Amino acid sequence: MTDYFEVHDRDGAARLGELRLTEPVTTPALVAGADPDDPNADSRVDTDDDAASTGDDAGYSRHPDTAAIIRDGGSLWTDDRAVPDGEADVLTILPHRAFPAGTREEVIDSFAPSWPAIDGPSAAVISGDAPTVIVDAGESRGESTDDTGAATDDTEAATDDTGTPPVDAFVLSNAQGVVGHASAFVDAVVRTREAVPPDTALYLAGVATPRNVATLVYAGVDLVDATAARVAGSRGRYLTTDDERFLEDLRELPCSCPACRVPRSEFDRRDCERHNVNVLAGELRRVRQRIREGRLRDYLEGQARHDQWTTATMRELDQEYSYLERRTPVVRDEQVTAATDDTLRRVEIQRFAERVTSRYRCRFDGPLVLVPCSARKPYSESQSHGQFRDAIQYRAHLVSMTSPIGVVPQELELTYPAQHYDTVVTGEWTETEKTFVADVLRAYLRRTDYPRVIAHVPPDGYRDICERVAADVDVPFEFTVADHPTTTDSISSLMQTLDGEEKYRKRERQHNTVRAIADYQFGDGAGDALFPDLQTTSRYPKLQLRDGEGEQLATMVPNYGVLSFTLAGARRWADSAAPTKRVEIDSFVPRGSVLAPGVVDADEAIRVGDEVVVEGPDAFAVGRAQMFGREMRAATRGVAVKVRHVEER
Amino acid sequence: MSQPTPEVYERGRGMDAHNQAMREIRAEKDASYDPHEPTRVWLDEDNTPGGVYQSLTIILNTGGCRWARAGGCTMCGYVAESVEGGSVTHEALMDQVDACLEHERENADGPAPLVKIYTSGSFLDEREVSAESRRAIAETFADRERIVVESLPDFISREKVRDFTQHGLQTDVAVGLETATDRVRHDCVNKYFDFADFEDACAEVRAVNEAGVKAYLLMKPPFLSEREALEDTISSVRRCGAVDGCHTVSVNPCNVQRYTMVDELHFRDGYRPPWLWSVAAMLERTTDTDAIVVSDPVGHGSDRGAHNCGECDDRVQTAIKDFDLRQDPSVFEQVSCACERTWELVLAEERSYSQPLVN
Repeated sequence: MTDYFEVHDRDGAARLGELRLTEPVTTPALVAGADPDDPNADSRVDTDDDAASTGDDAGYSRHPDTAAIIRDGGSLWTDDRAVPDGEADVLTILPHRAFPAGTREEVIDSFAPSWPAIDGPSAAVISGDAPTVIVDAGESRGESTDDTGAATDDTEAATDDTGTPPVDAFVLSNAQGVVGHASAFVDAVVRTREAVPPDTALYLAGVATPRNVATLVYAGVDLVDATAARVAGSRGRYLTTDDERFLEDLRELPCSCPACRVPRSEFDRRDCERHNVNVLAGELRRVRQRIREGRLRDYLEGQARHDQWTTATMRELDQEYSYLERRTPVVRDEQVTAATDDTLRRVEIQRFAERVTSRYRCRFDGPLVLVPCSARKPYSESQSHGQFRDAIQYRAHLVSMTSPIGVVPQELELTYPAQHYDTVVTGEWTETEKTFVADVLRAYLRRTDYPRVIAHVPPDGYRDICERVAADVDVPFEFTVADHPTTTDSISSLMQTLDGEEKYRKRERQHNTVRAIADYQFGDGAGDALFPDLQTTSRYPKLQLRDGEGEQLATMVPNYGVLSFTLAGARRWADSAAPTKRVEIDSFVPRGSVLAPGVVDADEAIRVGDEVVVEGPDAFAVGRAQMFGREMRAATRGVAVKVRHVEER
Repeated sequence: MSQPTPEVYERGRGMDAHNQAMREIRAEKDASYDPHEPTRVWLDEDNTPGGVYQSLTIILNTGGCRWARAGGCTMCGYVAESVEGGSVTHEALMDQVDACLEHERENADGPAPLVKIYTSGSFLDEREVSAESRRAIAETFADRERIVVESLPDFISREKVRDFTQHGLQTDVAVGLETATDRVRHDCVNKYFDFADFEDACAEVRAVNEAGVKAYLLMKPPFLSEREALEDTISSVRRCGAVDGCHTVSVNPCNVQRYTMVDELHFRDGYRPPWLWSVAAMLERTTDTDAIVVSDPVGHGSDRGAHNCGECDDRVQTAIKDFDLRQDPSVFEQVSCACERTWELVLAEERSYSQPLVN
């Protein structure tokens, strides 16, 4: 039962959350690591106190961003521990047996502790080597265990039916062994996050640095601490977001944080500790802002390059496609910066290519004209595409070739991320880009049935790709550009090539557009299954979709290029052969939103941003998903669906 | 007294798991040893209740530790150095003793007054060293002043101890207690006896005149943070010192031996041997104990032994060795290093779930 952690925002696997303590903490956050100037720090070391009391950091002064919110319930390796009372102002780490990196699974299994439920925020220590030994990957959280905590006796297991500890956060005990090793790290975080309930926080203790924290968070870590940064400072290691340097090698301090506002000659290791914590805290602020903006990946593609293992981690995570895809919104308003070859492996890019080549159907009979993309989005508003349109005069189907998207049929030019990306324009193509676009174009042509392909593309990259693909497909390619696509010669060549081709009408164009969007959005064939008797009204791009009787079924949303249903449209979707994404709710009538506890069941395939049908004994509704399906089923806090229309039953 | 055996304790799930893991790890070792050669022999100086002596230390190659054959202690790689499978004959054992005497003749000015005999297991276990061999060895060293023999508590009896005292040898029975905390000894070290058994063994030895017990403690078994390890050792030293008959406590900072669970953890960045500062702090904080407290960090300064930052290791080790002989804590006032601050941060901030904070 997660009472004290809530995810407010998602950016792939990264989350912006809230640890709901007396003073709420926005995550990802630094949750431990005292201020190095604390006068108590030295005296604490020589006390004869029992080791168990070291978790109690009362009296510590802290960096403003380093919340003193961890209370350690103590290690069960050294002593039997009483179940601590929960306290509202700290995250209590339940008495634990931590299994460091390298512990064999049979040892983890035999010593795996049980988890008492306590009244208050709590965390369980588990091993990323074997998360499921302790945490069952079960879908449902079982019955609530709250209110029984106070009475729990210290040997009694209070895990629920699925074996899931009733906690708000999990601590990975093998963090030191996996951070720095990309595949081991990805394996530990992915396995753990897939095993624990989605609305619990993940804490990696003693590992965060300014250089790696963006990567940690990107992978799915919610809580870190300033300990490693402080310790590095005490060893004369000066940390920045790009490197780690020996203090004695620095002729000037490449920073202007408060700790660094002293002459170089006066800057000592204590200052270095403080600087390291400052930089880490600042980097974490940036990461939080990036998550709010939905643009952490764009940052990471640049920042991760400052270390080998962080770059490798980003790439290894791209190979964990289902983990990332499940957590990546299907639409959003944010821009995608395409500045590296790594962009090609982003979920957004891969998903678009996959849908265009496996869901989208071309409903035009005429020839295909391939054109280069434009910097201006949507393409149709660019000058070059205006010229192409004038030349083609609706006598052919227009598809833009582009890195990093692949191919964009004209119907999908508004659809995320086709109008949301911005790439680096030099005219030079990397081999990776060529291979990617060629692969997508090849797959696209194998699924479609054009009589002719007219490649109205400039030489070099574009033409090279077309020639590679032409060799592998049956449909003949014709090239109409000698020098540049918008020269008078090229444009007239394009016009003449289409002599004799039939024009298609505006209505056909509009119908094909909304059906294509439906294919892309809801699945192969959905455009025909949902709208057999289509009428469109209003002006592109704000088309309204109606049935034969004139009842409105859906509206096209211009800023993402997707459809949103009316109640009538949602009913038709629910009754159609097209795969429907359903959220089953309890007996209530949702107003505005459906909260996670009200969800009884939800389709696994639901992604953030998806249209969903909401059904329960008392209501039928349609809205937009705010969580992915598994999260809706398992979460106990947060908004699952924003409801657009609802009807009582 | 109770007679604990490995079999009794192997009921626990944790012990099953540890033993299974250790058996698999040990099986990776592929080497055998000549039963006519001792595992190791060296000369040193030692502080005893009778003063500081020249010492001859012998590690006999016996059939190996009975407990280790079941799996055994998580940090102990000595079993890997024993003769494979079989036991060692009386003749072979005596050849080993002869080789040690030869070593002493070549390297020492004369016979060392103190002789310390260890095996990979228990010298007093008659499956390792027969009564015949034990008595012959006692006789061999009858001319010395003092002898140390190591054994698990199970095998200690006053009769066996008298085999040595009857020759006028001051006899110390060394017991690898590792920690006074039963929970840590069982769950982290995977050693099967209890502190109460150690107390019983001390009583048994004390029944013999001219005999006493030397407790061996392990500083920082796996799974503990630096601070937990330090506190556990300090409380263990005090509890040992309070047991009648235990006149010396020798603290071994855990080192990383091949073919052990500790080695696997260390390899995966899940274990770091203790800081030498922790050893020094432990010695400083236990000077009020009614026993000689010594420590000889093996492999000090290396990644696999107790170490600090690399700059100060030798100096701190020297202070520790100096303390061993003089029991004067002021030796530690003369060493300092910038890494003490790091060690203090580690003590304050490291948790078992964030260890090792620094390598």
